[in-house]
Amino acid sequence: MNTNLKISNVTKIYPGCVANDNVSLEFNSGKIYALLGENGAGKSTLVKILSGVIIPDEGEIYLNKNNLKLNSPLDAKKNDIGMVFQHFNLFETLSVFENLIIDSDEQRESLREKIDSIMKKYNFSIDLDIPVLNLSAGQKQKVEIIRCLIRNPKVLIMDEPTSVLTEQETSELFLSLKKFSEEGILIIYITHKLKEVMQLCDEVAVMRRGKLVSVSEIKNENIESLANKMVGQNLKTIKKKKAKTSSDQLIKITNLNFTSEDPFETNLMDINFSVNRGECLGIAGISGNGQSELFQVLSGEIISDKNCIEFNNNYIGDLDPQERREYLMAFSPEDRLEQAAIPQMKIFENVALNNFKSSNFFNNGLINENKIKEHSKKIISDFNVNTDNIELKSQFLSGGNLQKLIIGRELITSPDLLICFNPTWGLDVGAINYIHETLIKINEQNKSIILISTDTDELLKLSDKISVIHKGKLSKIMNAEEVTSEKLGILMGGVN
Amino acid sequence: MIIDINFIGLIIASIMASAVPLILASCGELITERSGVLNLGVEGMMIIGAISGFALMTVTGSLIIAIFGAMLAGVLISTIFAFLTQTLITNHVATGLALTIFGIGISAMIGKNFVGIPGKEFPVLFENLKDTIPLIGPILFGHSIVFYFAFTLPFITSYFLKKTKIGLIVRAVGDSPESASNQGINVRLVRYLCILYGGAMSGLAGAYLSMIYTPQWIENMTGGRGWIALALVVFSTWNPIKILIGAMIFGGLTIIQFHMQAIGVRIPVQFLTALPYIVTIIVLVVISRDSRKIRLSTPSSLGKSFHKDN
Repeated sequence: MNTNLKISNVTKIYPGCVANDNVSLEFNSGKIYALLGENGAGKSTLVKILSGVIIPDEGEIYLNKNNLKLNSPLDAKKNDIGMVFQHFNLFETLSVFENLIIDSDEQRESLREKIDSIMKKYNFSIDLDIPVLNLSAGQKQKVEIIRCLIRNPKVLIMDEPTSVLTEQETSELFLSLKKFSEEGILIIYITHKLKEVMQLCDEVAVMRRGKLVSVSEIKNENIESLANKMVGQNLKTIKKKKAKTSSDQLIKITNLNFTSEDPFETNLMDINFSVNRGECLGIAGISGNGQSELFQVLSGEIISDKNCIEFNNNYIGDLDPQERREYLMAFSPEDRLEQAAIPQMKIFENVALNNFKSSNFFNNGLINENKIKEHSKKIISDFNVNTDNIELKSQFLSGGNLQKLIIGRELITSPDLLICFNPTWGLDVGAINYIHETLIKINEQNKSIILISTDTDELLKLSDKISVIHKGKLSKIMNAEEVTSEKLGILMGGVN
Repeated sequence: MIIDINFIGLIIASIMASAVPLILASCGELITERSGVLNLGVEGMMIIGAISGFALMTVTGSLIIAIFGAMLAGVLISTIFAFLTQTLITNHVATGLALTIFGIGISAMIGKNFVGIPGKEFPVLFENLKDTIPLIGPILFGHSIVFYFAFTLPFITSYFLKKTKIGLIVRAVGDSPESASNQGINVRLVRYLCILYGGAMSGLAGAYLSMIYTPQWIENMTGGRGWIALALVVFSTWNPIKILIGAMIFGGLTIIQFHMQAIGVRIPVQFLTALPYIVTIIVLVVISRDSRKIRLSTPSSLGKSFHKDN
């Protein structure tokens, strides 16, 4: 049976922001639909309305011509709309089976049989009796999908499902989604990743600032056209000019080793490299191969032997991050909300955390609030952070804005070297572009960058030299022009 | 010296009797905490139960009305807590502490007229079987209905949490109220009910003290048992069976240290009085060391307010 889902004139207004502005859309089963938009474009609000989590201010939803009143998630479930949230809705300490039985009316035995047959059909293999916290992100997502499938849904909504998955898991997910679609389930796929839209979907609806911008078939689109629709302006294709060959060495790492006591960390073995002024060294690798340890050693979170790190003719291996900043190094860690900023603190307070010597943020132990605020306003305007309220708690900034703030905070001291770790992780196209432009500008000012990233495209775009980290060891350092993504892929897999 | 075997039985029975209020209050609080609510008002709810039970017994003369009235009083005072923390989203810790202070104060005020009034005798069950089996007889028989209820409660609680759908829902709410809400579970309702249940059990524990254990009203007669009950829940890592063990150790040491003081053992009295607290905590910490199990049984959202936004 065909399923037809129609959203008609849906509006949802929050104080100070129109999340959905008169959105109308129509979906038919047998196709996979992409709902594309930047962070904050209103996609998540729209699907939360479809799943009953948020009640719209205006507008109607029709499933097969029936007007649905979705006042709670329960209503959506009863009407055969299943949703897999971006942040999993699982109970970590309960077993997989308990997670599944909790909203089912079936008996234990019959439910178990049903789950087994679903897992067999789609080739899932998950132990039902272990607690969810022992599962990988990909497995957790499968549990969420099974939870939807138990109810034989007509509509399955996936909210940014690949943000936590590895590439292997992503391709498995795509296979399953195609299979569901063939079986007549209407699939709505929310994402800001353009590649995935092109790979998976049949039709795409683009949203921007709460409004529906366009609906079109994938075969009439390409990555550039979608990116432009999503951002609402013509994106410049960024191209890095080749750096002037400089032989002025800035940082040199010699025989650096790190052995961790934590069995889940990677040991670093015999790390040797150097970076010249005006250069960007990219470090590629599959996540978990020692990148985080390398970042910590370079930033001084992990202290190493004094002579291992030579920066600007000083030996600084035994200095902590604050002391390294005095030598004009700057750091942008991977986890923006856990490591780089304190989510509950205001923007200007987070700015003050980078308390460099010449800042005058503190006088005789007292906080010089005016100075900090002035400084924060400068960062916000120089780095295009989309807010004018420096009293805002930093947890309310979107990922892109927070990253801009962090990079701005680090760069305001005009450091000689910026070390960043996955700086565009989880950001939308517009923000990624901005960060990339900023990084290129740094190189043009004859400053250096060490870019540790899992995104190969980003590395090829920005780096002058590239090395690959695998199981805590660095490959030899290559010139970026001589490297292809295939070659990087091979090295990342550990083949020499 | 010949030790009468029935005397040992009597000591064990008295240890069990002193454990009853701890088991009742802890098992109630355990359900509350498993739903993610930290109610530090146990002591206050217990003492309200104690005075309500005793007052109703004296006024109405009915033990049944008194027992259920005490539970109802516990429910009513915990409703205040539930309304404040769940509807007005106040801080759990501060509200719970206020509840205890409130309970102690109001019970002293109501209790003024009941000081010095003798209590009534509470009927015991299976009294005639007491002497049929040596040692076991005095342990198993001749106790009040509340006593038997208390010793089955940890098992019922354990079964409820592990095997029933509602128990699963309680655990789910305590694990992640956001997920539960997105699954269509009414988090606020579940938490309200768990708080009220905890109130009822604390009320019953209080009534046991003032009507059965020492049948009279003395101001502040709970004497910190509510706090011990709270500690038992945490140190048992939210496991009802371990609560039973902990309550028995605590009750046992309390009784034994009295006897030791009476015999005149040369250990400072202060140390003897502190002994039950120290040993109970040490034992529970030692038997609950498995960090994986702690992670699995600790309600992740404990003490955090949940506010659903639309």
